[in-house]
Amino acid sequence: MAPLRSATARTPSPRRFAGFRRCWLLARIGAGLALASLASSGVLAADKARITGLSDVAFGTLANLSADSVQSQNVCIFSSSSTNGYNVQAIGSGSGGAFTLASGSNVLGYDVEWNSASGQSSGTLLSPNVALTGQVSSATQQTCNSGPASSASLIIVLRAAKLSSATAGSYSGTLTLVVAPE
Amino acid sequence: MTFKLTSGILLASAALALAAGPAQAATQGTMGSTSTGSVAISASVPGRVEISGLSDVSFTNQDPSTAASSAQNVCVWSNTSTRGYNVTATGSGTGNAFTLANGAQTVGYNVEWAGSTGQSSGTALASGTALTGLTSTATTAGCTAGPATTASLIVKIPTTNLQSMQAALSYTGTLTLVVAPE
Repeated sequence: MAPLRSATARTPSPRRFAGFRRCWLLARIGAGLALASLASSGVLAADKARITGLSDVAFGTLANLSADSVQSQNVCIFSSSSTNGYNVQAIGSGSGGAFTLASGSNVLGYDVEWNSASGQSSGTLLSPNVALTGQVSSATQQTCNSGPASSASLIIVLRAAKLSSATAGSYSGTLTLVVAPE
Repeated sequence: MTFKLTSGILLASAALALAAGPAQAATQGTMGSTSTGSVAISASVPGRVEISGLSDVSFTNQDPSTAASSAQNVCVWSNTSTRGYNVTATGSGTGNAFTLANGAQTVGYNVEWAGSTGQSSGTALASGTALTGLTSTATTAGCTAGPATTASLIVKIPTTNLQSMQAALSYTGTLTLVVAPE
C-alpha cells in the first residue's frame, strides 16, 4: 500500500499555495482598478453641470457716486445630479482673482453676489476663488430652452464707498464663473 | 458798525465722462464636470468735485481804520487723476459783484483763494472768473479721511471800503463758490 503517496500528491506544496494566493489577489486588484476606471470615464453617468445665459455687465457712466450701483442678470445653471445641486465659484481679473476693474493703474473693487433663484437683486456675497456650495437649480434642460428660462441670479455691485474715492476714468474687467455639480 | 457776510455752499460737478464699453463678449459654459462662463464688466467714473466745510463770515464792530480779513479752511475734493480743480466765485451784488448791501447802500469786499490750508492770503478772485490749475490733497469727498481741509478762502474788506460804510447798519450778502474738476 502506498496511501500516503496518493495523499501527498493531492496536497499543494506551501510554495505552490503562495503563488496561487498572489494570482488571486492580483485578479481582485485588477477588477477594482477596472471598476474605478469605468466610473471616472463617465460610463457610470458622472454628474455634470452647465452655466449659460451670461451677459456682459455695462454700468455706463455712473452719475451718482454716493449710491451703490447694482446690475443683476438671470442665468441658467443646469445640474444633472440627483439633487440638481451645484456650487459656483467666481474669479475676477484682478490680482489673485480679485473682483476689481482697472483703468490703467487705477482699480475699482466690486462685489459679486449669487442667488439660486432668478429675478433677484441681492444674494450671497461671493469671495474670489471660493466656491459657494449647496446651491440647487430648477433648470430641467441644460440651456433652459424648456422649463424655467433661468435658474439663478448674478448680481454685481459697485459700492458707494469705493465709487466716492475712485479716480475718474473708464474701468473694465472680466468675471469668470465656474459651476460644478454636487 | 456791524455787517455780515454770508457765504453760501455750492456743490459743483462737471462730467469728464469717459465712455466705457465691454472689453469682450460674455462666454457661455459647456456641459461637463465643471462648466465655465465669463462676463465683461465695465463702468465709467466721471470727474467729480465737492466743496465742503464752508462757514459763514461775520465781521462785527469792525474798526474802519483797520482792514477786515477772515480766513477759513475748506475742503475741496476732486477725483481726477491729478486731483485738479478750478474755483469760481460770484457775489450777490449787481452783476454778481462782491458786495454787501443794506438797502441801497453797498460796500465791496475782496475774495482770495489759496490751494492749501491755513493761509491768510491767496490769489485774488474776480467774480465769475475761474481760478484754474488748483490741486487738492483730499483723498475722500468731504475730507472724511486724509487731510481735514485742503484750501483757504479769504474774505477781506479794505479800510477805504470800511470807511464808506454807515455805522450801526448791518450789511449782508452771499458769496457763491463753484468748483469744477480739471
